[in-house]
Amino acid sequence: MTVPLSQMWTVATYVLQQKLKGQARYPLVLMLEPLFRCNLACAGCGKIQYPAHILKRHLTVEQCLQAVEECGAPMVSIPGGEPLMYPEIGPLVKELVVRKKYIYLCTNAILLKEKLEEGMFAPSKYLSFSIHMDGPRQEHDESVCREGVYDEAVEGIKEALRRGFRVTTNTTLFEGASPLRMRQFFDEMMDLGVEGMMISPGYSYSKAPDQEHFLRRQRANELFSTMLARAKRRWRFNQSPLFLQFLMGKQDFECTPWGNPTYNLFGWQRPCYLLQEGYASTFQELMETTRWDQYGRKSGNPKCRDCMVHCGYEATAVDHTFSSWRGFRDSVVATVTGRL
Amino acid sequence: MTEERSVEGWSPTIGAGVTLDEVIDLAFDYRGDVTIVRRDGTEVVGYVYNRNRDVPEPFLQLFDPTGASHTLRYAAVRTVRFTGKDTAAGKSYEAWLRRKAQAEESAPLA
Ligand code: SF4
Ligand code: SF4
Repeated sequence: MTVPLSQMWTVATYVLQQKLKGQARYPLVLMLEPLFRCNLACAGCGKIQYPAHILKRHLTVEQCLQAVEECGAPMVSIPGGEPLMYPEIGPLVKELVVRKKYIYLCTNAILLKEKLEEGMFAPSKYLSFSIHMDGPRQEHDESVCREGVYDEAVEGIKEALRRGFRVTTNTTLFEGASPLRMRQFFDEMMDLGVEGMMISPGYSYSKAPDQEHFLRRQRANELFSTMLARAKRRWRFNQSPLFLQFLMGKQDFECTPWGNPTYNLFGWQRPCYLLQEGYASTFQELMETTRWDQYGRKSGNPKCRDCMVHCGYEATAVDHTFSSWRGFRDSVVATVTGRL
Repeated sequence: MTEERSVEGWSPTIGAGVTLDEVIDLAFDYRGDVTIVRRDGTEVVGYVYNRNRDVPEPFLQLFDPTGASHTLRYAAVRTVRFTGKDTAAGKSYEAWLRRKAQAEESAPLA
């Protein structure tokens, strides 16, 4: 199965509508974090370090739907924490499907099989499980700091596919990743039958404990160039080919942090999914009062200098596709030929 | 691996080498509960999840352990004490590797 044409059409028409309206800044994917609680404690994660009373809390379905309504993005990504630990995840997904939002439920998949067996979700073209897989078994288990998680995730993937769900993977790469092992990993994921893969370098959170293993920009370019050189036709990536070219150093993009706005317990996070510089109480306030010029590489902000993360640059790549004939042509050529 | 130094346990006196704005920024950055000491001497304990200085009346917001949200103007704050545990401190990748290696060493041989 590949990305449904209806999803491509929805995204394309949405972006073109924004452009026709002259919207310089528009959201593409809402990052909706209903909770910060997780059943793992990965070394590269800066999302889960909070006092117990914060970890116990979660958004209500009504708060989530209000955020979806305010934001208006055609796609909703549900990370966390671990969204399968959110007690209202079933009803939330159901409501989002009714609203025809394309959902990426980002999970470490430890609970996936159990939730599927409970009948919590129904297959839909709007729902895709985006499984956290940081490489082959050894690399993944090291990255999530627990042995056996890779195998559990593979079980979850198989069960979801068997039941007719859309399944993608989502991989964060850290320093020391082996291009060869990653190429084998892509083969493994394709053999499992996932719809597509998402890859991104990690971001050096100041809160993430593992500061020295994040990729710096030039090293990231080298790694992704080697890894994606002569990409196999059978590898399917669930992301813009122009973003992949950006990771390889073939495109020079600037970050568009408003493309993936983040909503969580604290409100609308400024400026992006990665940095927590403050919160706005409404989406409009976020868009109108965030000092966007202080972020991105050109701003000189040291926190943005080496960032190449998909939540900052994927939306740029999509926007670029629809901003010029060259962008559109590059995108079509890469999609049709599979050449990056 | 360089562990960041934590401000856990710090009880600053505003004016003695540190400003209220700086201390509130640190409190906002801190991944643990703090105690806000108001100018009237009363205190509130909680997690500071937001602060905004770019408004006419700068304010901070916190969740107390019951889940109630409080908004306090900077002008009403005397100081902040870093009384809660820093949940981001000391959780390094290397520490995990060390624990893993130790566990493997102490595991009985097959
Ligand atoms: S599974 Fe995701 S949210 Fe949980 S600790 Fe790992 S990276 Fe963080
Ligand atoms: S460059 Fe990265 S860290 Fe900076 S605003 Fe963009 S996404 Fe956030």
